[in-house]
Amino acid sequence: MNLPAQIDVNGIKVNAIPGQRPVLVDGHATIVSLFAARCRELGARTAHREKDMGIWQSYSWADYWDHARWIGLGLVALGLKRGEVVSILSEDRREWAYADMGIQSVGGIASGVYTTDSAAQLEYLLRDSDSRFLLVEDDEQLDKFLEIADRAKQVTKVIILEQEGLHDLNNDRCIFIDELYRIGQEFDQANPGFFEAEIDKARPNDTGLLIYTSGTTGAPKGAMLSHENIIAAIEGGAHVLPAYATDEQLCFLPLCHILERNVSIYFPLGAKCIVNFAESPETVFDNMQEVSPSTFFAVPRVWEKVYSRVLVLVQEATWIGKLAFGLAIRAGQKRAAFAIVNQPVPVGVAINYAIWDFLVLKNLRRMLGMNRMRRGGTGAAPISPELLKWYWAIGVPLVEGYGMTENAGISTINTPDANRPGSVGRAVPGIKIRVSDEGEIQTHGLNNFQGYWRNNEKTAEIYTDGGWLRTGDVGRIDADGYVTITGRMKDIIITAGGKNITPAEIESRLKFSHYIADAVVIGDGRKYLTCLIMIDQENVEKFAQDAKVPFSDFASLCAAEEVLTLIRREVEAVNADFSRVEQIKDFRLINVLLTAEDEELTATMKLKRGLVEQKHKALIDQMY
Amino acid sequence: MMADQPLLEIRNLESFYGPIMAIRGVSLKVEKGQIVTVLGANGAGKSTLLKTISGIMDPEKGQIIFEGEEIQGLEPHVIVKKGIVHIPEGREVFPLLSVDENLTLGAYTRSDSAEIARDRQLVFDYFPILADRRRQEAGTLSGGQQQMLAIGRGLMLRPRIMLLDEPSLGLSPLLVQEIFDILKRLNEDEGVTMMLVEQNARVALELADVGYVMEIGRIVMDGSAERLMQSEDIKAFYLGHQAEGQRGERRWKRKKTWR
Repeated sequence: MNLPAQIDVNGIKVNAIPGQRPVLVDGHATIVSLFAARCRELGARTAHREKDMGIWQSYSWADYWDHARWIGLGLVALGLKRGEVVSILSEDRREWAYADMGIQSVGGIASGVYTTDSAAQLEYLLRDSDSRFLLVEDDEQLDKFLEIADRAKQVTKVIILEQEGLHDLNNDRCIFIDELYRIGQEFDQANPGFFEAEIDKARPNDTGLLIYTSGTTGAPKGAMLSHENIIAAIEGGAHVLPAYATDEQLCFLPLCHILERNVSIYFPLGAKCIVNFAESPETVFDNMQEVSPSTFFAVPRVWEKVYSRVLVLVQEATWIGKLAFGLAIRAGQKRAAFAIVNQPVPVGVAINYAIWDFLVLKNLRRMLGMNRMRRGGTGAAPISPELLKWYWAIGVPLVEGYGMTENAGISTINTPDANRPGSVGRAVPGIKIRVSDEGEIQTHGLNNFQGYWRNNEKTAEIYTDGGWLRTGDVGRIDADGYVTITGRMKDIIITAGGKNITPAEIESRLKFSHYIADAVVIGDGRKYLTCLIMIDQENVEKFAQDAKVPFSDFASLCAAEEVLTLIRREVEAVNADFSRVEQIKDFRLINVLLTAEDEELTATMKLKRGLVEQKHKALIDQMY
Repeated sequence: MMADQPLLEIRNLESFYGPIMAIRGVSLKVEKGQIVTVLGANGAGKSTLLKTISGIMDPEKGQIIFEGEEIQGLEPHVIVKKGIVHIPEGREVFPLLSVDENLTLGAYTRSDSAEIARDRQLVFDYFPILADRRRQEAGTLSGGQQQMLAIGRGLMLRPRIMLLDEPSLGLSPLLVQEIFDILKRLNEDEGVTMMLVEQNARVALELADVGYVMEIGRIVMDGSAERLMQSEDIKAFYLGHQAEGQRGERRWKRKKTWR
């Protein structure tokens, strides 16, 4: 076979001309053969770290290989066939990665389920994906399955990762992970070389994983991603997101989501770096400080939270501390104005920055666990350019990227060297991007997914005849190739006056306020626009506290006249930038504190338009 | 004083133990004649709240308004004179003094001896066991009797409001019931306003008109006692209702939503 010319990018060999078949990473065309090669090559080197009883423990690539092999072979022994789906319902932990690799190595398809999903949602996913096996983390997740066990007959065995609280479990459809390892080991002894042979059977166009899209409209659909799709994403990532074997990462967003899956499981297969699993979503900031990751990819909410924490800390500092912080940020902002767009920083500005960096900013970064951070990334939702600039000011190069499940999570990205804040960057090498006549952004490349699982109709809808993926996002591309997203096609509001409005543009402007966590603009078929607003609890509480506004719980905070005035001012400030028909005439605050379990929120804590409109209809009706 | 003004109002209170912020912006109201309970786990900041009201601790920020007057940061003895009585956690009676002497000390700030004698009789009416033991050293009383004495000592001040810090602590369920019944009568018959800090949510909510729930220094929920008793979170985390899981009793807890 004639292999395409290879080049070396930071120690990893990829195709010199990206976007061509066969897509190779260090000579491997499938996820699993790359996985096998990495485990052979790196053996005793650390692949993962996880906390056990409060102490970080290291787990090697050999551990990765053994456990994945036992899981894969165990499932085969229990009856898994190539092309069948295995679902994983667990928080992030190393077994998640073991299972992902184990399942795919024996030709299975791995499908993640959010731990915040309800039993009914689990039932839908198990039935839709026709899952033969289910891995659950603990008793809490197991209970969801047991509730719907009779309606999910195709699941032959449930494998439980944690025994705690389940010692008296007596259900012949359930086994513990240790039992699966044992079955796998026995199968391995009886069939030596079986696992390696299965890995060799994998073809680039085999489906490796299913990712269910959060589906702001309609039922979730399982996007089929092939080995080639993921290898193409790794290749594209290698070109624009330099990563080294010495890099430390922190894994904390759900691995069911393509973003974290790429960043914490697939990209490290290419880059050989170490992935540290956060203890829980609540301890991310502490874990961050302990790990001090070299690169860090998060959704805007996380970056906003860190920013808020710093502001709160500064408020509580002494006047000297406040003054020093203010001067340091000013010095940082001056430098950031040049650095963020990759212009040379004038000597005076650089020296001023160096002093304040030494005195203040360096310590701040160490406190945040960002002192080693070479690159911060954000995606999956819009982020305020001011916030990007603030991170550059404190010495953290934060860049925005863009991707979706259907194109394996990667299509455009800014880099610290080629950055245009406000845009989502340029197309990743190997991926083509265009704007259709209707203004929709479309992508083309070997990362484009294979289609929706058992849903040809939806698959046909999302691809153009030429094989371009309709992202559903509206946007534009500038002369240098930087892409800017302005909204969602589906969300376009047509008011009673017949005016077309993209609500996302207004919503993201509202979200840039520190007091507004998220907003949904309403007005389809109505005379004027209104919106529902979810306030940022921490910052609004702080405001109320400083302004001496008494409040007890969240609802009373939302009802406080001063808070309403505050939000009204924020809305009016945004209104000033829009034409009359695009202005928000009225608003209501969502006065319940929504959590990840609430169906109004996506896994990345975005409001789902349809459900919000439906659930808070009474509030909307008040405004018309 | 305006008619609709609460007896005690707390606005945006913040209190520190050294560098640790124990109360992070608490606002609440106690109307005259009400029993208000503040629920919360250990370390939620409940006792700190009472200590800040009674002047044992000074707040960093915020106001405490009693009968229309700001009293935050005043000395404890000044606050006691205004009619705010703090019945501390763990009773804290004077162990070497007799029951009678303890009660006399409760009326330390008063000089109207005829009235004091009447109030002493009132205490004995409500807590007959104290009358039987009036010559006994307080330290030799049982835990429940000491708690009664602490409440009685507080009553000797003719308080405008009583701040009770976990009166149920370390007492048998029967004794808790007895003491709470007496508190109810004191409220109904004598019109004593109370602010009651408790971990025993069941008895507290049965007694109180209004409740607040505190978690790590913040109020996360408030409402009428009936509303709180119906809340799924209160049921699961304070009233100990076990949701039936798929395998009988379940070990994991639902996530708190406070709504």
